[in-house]
Amino acid sequence: MSRISFWLQRVAQLLIVLLLVTFGVSLLLRLIPVDLATILLPVGTEEERDILRNELGFDKGPIGYYLQWLGNFVQGDFGKIYFSGGTEEVSDHLKVAMPRSLLLMVYTQILSLAIAIPLGVLSAYRAGRRADKIISNTLFTLSSIPNFAIALLLVIFVGVKFAWLPTLGYAPISDGVWEHFKHMIMPVISLSLGLIATYTRLLRADMIAALREDYVTMAASKGLSDSRILWRHVFRPSSMTLLTSAALSMGGLIGGAIVIESIFATYGIGFEVFAAIAGRQYVALQSTVAVIALFYVFFNLVVDVSSGFVDPRTRDRRVNA
Amino acid sequence: MRNYTKPTWFAIGWLGLMMFFSLFGWLLPFKPWNFVFEDDLEVGLFSSGHLLGTDSNGYDLLSSAVAGTRMSVFIAIAAVGLGGFIGSVLGILAAYLRGKIDTVMVTIFNVGLSVPNLVLALALVSVLATNVDINQAVPTWRRVMVLIISLTIVLIPILGRIARGATLSWSGREFVTAARSMGMKDSKIILRHIVPNVLPALIAVAFLAVGVVIIAEASLSILGVGIPDGASWGGMIARGRNDLEYAPHVLYVPIVFLALTVISTNHLGDVVRSKLDSREAKV
Amino acid sequence: MSALLSVKNMSINFDTPRGSLEAVRGVDIEIPAGTSVGVVGESGSGKTVMCRAAMGLLQGSNVKRSGTVIFDGHELTAMSKEEVRNLFGSGMAMIFQDPMTALNPVRRIGSQLSEGLRVRLGMSKADALARSKELLELVRIPNAAAVLKSFPYQLSGGMRQRVMIAIAIACNPKLLFADEPTTALDVTVQAQILQLLRELREDLKMSMVLVTHDLGVVAGNTDYVAVMYAGEVVEYAPTKKLFADMRMPYTEALLESIPKVDHKSGTRLAMIAGRLPDPTDRGAGCSFAPRCKYAQEKCRQEHPELKKDPDGHLYRCWFPIGEAK
Ligand SMILES: Nc1ncnc2c1ncn2[C@@H]1O[C@H](COP(=O)(O)OP(=O)(O)OP(=O)(O)O)[C@@H](O)[C@H]1O
Ligand code: SF4
Ligand SMILES: [Mg+2]
Repeated sequence: MSRISFWLQRVAQLLIVLLLVTFGVSLLLRLIPVDLATILLPVGTEEERDILRNELGFDKGPIGYYLQWLGNFVQGDFGKIYFSGGTEEVSDHLKVAMPRSLLLMVYTQILSLAIAIPLGVLSAYRAGRRADKIISNTLFTLSSIPNFAIALLLVIFVGVKFAWLPTLGYAPISDGVWEHFKHMIMPVISLSLGLIATYTRLLRADMIAALREDYVTMAASKGLSDSRILWRHVFRPSSMTLLTSAALSMGGLIGGAIVIESIFATYGIGFEVFAAIAGRQYVALQSTVAVIALFYVFFNLVVDVSSGFVDPRTRDRRVNA
Repeated sequence: MRNYTKPTWFAIGWLGLMMFFSLFGWLLPFKPWNFVFEDDLEVGLFSSGHLLGTDSNGYDLLSSAVAGTRMSVFIAIAAVGLGGFIGSVLGILAAYLRGKIDTVMVTIFNVGLSVPNLVLALALVSVLATNVDINQAVPTWRRVMVLIISLTIVLIPILGRIARGATLSWSGREFVTAARSMGMKDSKIILRHIVPNVLPALIAVAFLAVGVVIIAEASLSILGVGIPDGASWGGMIARGRNDLEYAPHVLYVPIVFLALTVISTNHLGDVVRSKLDSREAKV
Repeated sequence: MSALLSVKNMSINFDTPRGSLEAVRGVDIEIPAGTSVGVVGESGSGKTVMCRAAMGLLQGSNVKRSGTVIFDGHELTAMSKEEVRNLFGSGMAMIFQDPMTALNPVRRIGSQLSEGLRVRLGMSKADALARSKELLELVRIPNAAAVLKSFPYQLSGGMRQRVMIAIAIACNPKLLFADEPTTALDVTVQAQILQLLRELREDLKMSMVLVTHDLGVVAGNTDYVAVMYAGEVVEYAPTKKLFADMRMPYTEALLESIPKVDHKSGTRLAMIAGRLPDPTDRGAGCSFAPRCKYAQEKCRQEHPELKKDPDGHLYRCWFPIGEAK
């Protein structure tokens, strides 16, 4: 199988998943035992609702409705949010929310990896010794504390008791870098602790396995220093699982971000999901979930592409498979 | 088996206490969790008469926490039991039968897994808990049912995929091939040879899943779509957020209960898994 | 002639779930400068562990070692890890048993070959790469420039073995441990590799410890032979002397187990009836007793001491061949 057809097949698989996810959400909406048009326009006239039904495809069957939504979605029309006073474009909301959430996630990933990698390397190097045990046990305990609990404790102590950081809101970088980070620190820490533990654990396990390999002894027999062996010879082949899990954790992060964004009033995409649900904005919900799934699938693809760079063997193995 | 470490004993003890609270909490000489102590508003931790203090409504936090245990533990066990059962059946069948069924199952699992847990749970809860008359509040029992069903649906692909993976690795072993070649019925092979081997891995994950469900329930409550007025740990946290600046202990109590429970289930899941690994290593 | 490497009373134990595993027991061995010493023995007899322990390469919290190792006047066992490390490359080097696993799968040959040169000899990157290319040519790898850019999985087994040899000789070591350099290869490649090692040894004036299963290889490539059994060196003698006048029943059994068709290379050790004793549970007497055709009651009761013939021939047997039984 050639490389191109491998990638085509992979993309096709992911597209199918995407279609099924969005179709599933769309079916779910049709299961709501209430007239959707009434929910969206609670105070409108019946004519207005009829126009809306026709516009959104509520008057068609589930498949017709889905196809209409899909047609709009791929053209960039994500639907509207309906207020008593009028409507707003979902895409306008996402334009504001996406960058915030993405920054939140990128910072979370950077912080998590920056802490987890040295900790993982250290605890693999000292496996079974004191440093390893302390690291493992501390992280295990911290990671079992849900992120909203950490967020609330941070708010209580850092935000309220000592008043070091603002507890609510978001500031774009244009307001100043420090202002921006001041609002990001607590949400990022809340989301990071669990990831740090997961990453450290994965890396430790893989590095311990790699440390037993002959090529490590071989590297030692060349007279290389321990740190050079650890980083150059052990870390790289061990980082594959870490990378995969980092990309795949993006999806979970969006979920975690819903609560964290609502605690800190960051108003990112997680909050948009929540707002759509709380406000019964089902069209907005459908499109927002589709965007999230799109990102998730995208990160899956990123894993596939980047694994070839980290471990050259997978490049050919896949093509030969 | 007997050489458990101290943390393991602690985890067993704590979960035992939680089980006791949820089964026999009503036997304890507590006032109902939402009994209002009008003279004791926002009393701190370890006050006389209120071991864990009260909140701004005058609810006793210890009574609330014990009542909350019942709700959180009930939802967790129900969702993990149902989700685990359905997920394992689907996963085992898919892996054992292979072919089209497997492809369909894997696709369904992947679809489920490509929506973040909490997003899926939120969407399900909001759809399922919508009343025909949208102005009428949804009764608590129905909220509980909806939560359980939604979390079950969230768990099915997670546990299903693990059951499928474990089954795949076992159904290739010699004894399964041997049983097949001897003409043993598929149902018998699955029950005799596959299930007993796959079960330990599932139990390990089930412990972790209990933690996931408890956290999910709390998250939904914080977002206001959990159990609105019925006591659960999440409900307590949601209420306590309003008092955060003046009476943070209202938050500490449910957070500590919740965190200790999740730490315990995660730890026990870990213990089971490492037992499993050392067993595998010996094979 | 002074010994380049001298190992005294070396024992290596591994803590395992099944108890302490004695991989090497009280080994004494000397490698005279400028010679090639063969180490033979069945699989699991401790050859690899002994070589790695001599270089101080056994790491991990489950390893217990005792004894002394002196290399070129340095007492390795009394030195720090960093000091020992400075002797690697230009002092001692090792060719590993399995070229599949001893090369890092995710790094290019060029970087694996040149890094020793850069770290140990302080060469610049460009110099090291140029030298790496020369080294690959020295071990007769065609198309060296392309191989430098390849990953290990893209090379054949013979090529990988040559790469390993190139890495080992890169810094011109005084002593080369070659741990079964040919076992993984087919017969023709085997002969080429051995030929290559012989030439390199002459050109670079290296001493060598050649670990092998193959008595044919020992006969053609070594000056001395150490026979290992169950973690012990049970016989040690000049190669010619050993073949002419062996004292150990075990060595005899080894030789007899070779199919008699062809006495030269390519004759691997065939099976001796019975198995190596459980390394976690060594009995009291001679380890070979259950399989030895000369075994007597004394063999099962008492562990044989190391005996030395006047000509320096060492062996560990109560009833050596060539003495009245
Ligand atoms: N790291 C280790 N931990 C535990 N036991 C080990 C370890 N390394 C080697 N052993 C054990 O030590 C004994 C000697 O092994 P060694 O690899 O030295 O044998 P060998 O003579 O090189 O065999 P082969 O010819 O197969 O390479 C074996 O029983 C082996 O299982
Ligand atoms: S000591 Fe006895 S058993 Fe051991 S090799 Fe010599 S004769 Fe055989
Ligand atoms: Mg070996």
